[in-house]
Amino acid sequence: MGVSWPSVDVIELNGEQQIVVSYTDRVDIVSPQNGAHAPLINPATGEIRRDAENNARNWVLLGSDYENAQFYTNPIYVDEETFLIADYNGRILEIDTVTATVKGSFTLTNHVLANILVADDVLYVPLQSGGVTAITMDDYEVIWSYPTEEGVWAEPILVDNMIVFTSLDHHMYAIDKSGELQWKVDLEGAVSSKPLVANDRLYVGSYNKKLFEVSLDGDIINTYNTQNWVWGTPALADDGIIYVADLSGYIHALDTTDNLSMVWSEQVATRGIRSGPLVYEDTVIVASRDGLVYWIDRHNGVVLTQKEVEGKPELLSDLLLIEPSESLNIDKPLIIVGTVDTSKLLVAFEVDGLRQPWVYKR
Amino acid sequence: MLDLILNPFVTVLTWLYSVLNHDVVLAIIVLTVIIRFLTYPLLARQQESSQKMQQLQPKLKKLQEKYKNDREKLSEVQMKLYKEHGVNPVGGCLPLVVQFPILIGLYQSISFALAATPFQLVDLSERLLVPGLDPLIPLQRIWLGMDLTLPPTANPQYALILPLLVLITTWAQSKMTMGANQQPKSDSDEEDTSAGGQAQAMTQSMTTIMPLMFGFFSLSFSVGLSIYFVTSNVMGIIQYSPQGRVVLNKIFGGKKDDNDIIVDSSDDEVDDEPVKQPRKTQKKKKPRKK
Repeated sequence: MGVSWPSVDVIELNGEQQIVVSYTDRVDIVSPQNGAHAPLINPATGEIRRDAENNARNWVLLGSDYENAQFYTNPIYVDEETFLIADYNGRILEIDTVTATVKGSFTLTNHVLANILVADDVLYVPLQSGGVTAITMDDYEVIWSYPTEEGVWAEPILVDNMIVFTSLDHHMYAIDKSGELQWKVDLEGAVSSKPLVANDRLYVGSYNKKLFEVSLDGDIINTYNTQNWVWGTPALADDGIIYVADLSGYIHALDTTDNLSMVWSEQVATRGIRSGPLVYEDTVIVASRDGLVYWIDRHNGVVLTQKEVEGKPELLSDLLLIEPSESLNIDKPLIIVGTVDTSKLLVAFEVDGLRQPWVYKR
Repeated sequence: MLDLILNPFVTVLTWLYSVLNHDVVLAIIVLTVIIRFLTYPLLARQQESSQKMQQLQPKLKKLQEKYKNDREKLSEVQMKLYKEHGVNPVGGCLPLVVQFPILIGLYQSISFALAATPFQLVDLSERLLVPGLDPLIPLQRIWLGMDLTLPPTANPQYALILPLLVLITTWAQSKMTMGANQQPKSDSDEEDTSAGGQAQAMTQSMTTIMPLMFGFFSLSFSVGLSIYFVTSNVMGIIQYSPQGRVVLNKIFGGKKDDNDIIVDSSDDEVDDEPVKQPRKTQKKKKPRKK
């Protein structure tokens, strides 16, 4: 078990949508169609690459080949042949996607736990011990570094040309692109949650068991008391209802059009919910530390169905929605759940929770 | 199950941190002192039981020799001897069994409270039992320029003094423990090849090995845990020292001194029983080396 949980995302490889999962000492690429490990294709011939013993090679980046690199963040797509990925040990690795090897690296001043924000060819790198560093994407030149008293453990976001990020030092910061502080707001507790921006508002939870509604000028407009710390990013539905999960297993539905008034609040899981909820049509989907995935009626908080991941490993990763695709032969949307058990690192459920089409074993 | 012990410790440690001016090292020291103090009666009972057993060793040895071919009888007379002197042969284990999870819980609570990774922080969210402590998280983990969550090798060089302190205090505590549990050698102990003698030899070698082991482990443990070890060892040294025991026994209303337990061999009726099995061999006593 590593220091964090698997990071799961969708990335384009060989012209197709693929799932990329970064966890501990490996980055793997997996087909969303059937959960098979993606093969390493030679683009010149279109054939699968083979190793010295003529075995088909899969797309995998091994940290052990690069000074024991550790991965907990999503790669950044640069072009058809290049990804960038942050190594927990404090480097940005440039990956040749054709050969699944590292072709360059840039050393940072600290560990990286959260995803890097890319905007206008600049990388905004959150550092585990504190602060955000802006680095040019083409030649890795440090433009500026903004320090914080504690770590930045959530991905920064771009809002109104400002880099907005949260820190364990209790604050949410807004920095302009030249590295100047525009505002910061005290959220009364540590924050490791990526804010949600919607309707000119920022929504973010803190360890003081609160969800905050903050204006784009950094003023707190409304707060709502949760049962425990909020770590995941809230999800907003079209009707203005925001869904926030906490680390006591509660889901809270709040009306953003009515000062965050509570619509319903239910304990759906027996253990905490780390990741943010996912809203799909009339359902809210969450994954919990108790090893179960829950489908909840978003109008009343009733659990419609729940599915246990075999062995009940902790489910801490953010949920990933895979839209239907003709080219990939995916009829129904899929929910991809990352687990801390590598024998079932990724588990795919149909969006209605009726079927579990595949499991990816690393 | 361990959570029942762990969560209150994590909560108390966090509370101490809040009242001790956000000084996590002070909080670790105070919590360790409190726990070692509160578990002293268990330690005292264990010591007492251990001393009684030591004092009975000459008698037990005699009995073992006497009934070496009759295990049933041996067991019977041993039980009789224990009963006569009010000794429970497993009495020394129970306090240990109770103390062990407490000390493990204390040790682990420091790691949990000093959560340094996302996994540990998520875990911590379910461990704070008292409302109002959450805004204190994460605890300030930099102390005298050292990161308490990292091992000494990943800290400034002066942090390496901590493994050395762990080694010295573990050694001192082991010495004190041996001193507290040992009886002065009697003539019958001169040629001690019995199980008791072997155990004592083993304890002596452990006194050398354990400090080296702990000192070595401390190179990879976090600095925060080294502080716990040093504090716990210092408390152990105090608790095992004669002066410390007198003070602590007074506080806990115990007996005046552990060494008052005297086994009078002359009134042991077990000795008066006829010897049923004659000794096959008798070792010649070696002259005592000066």
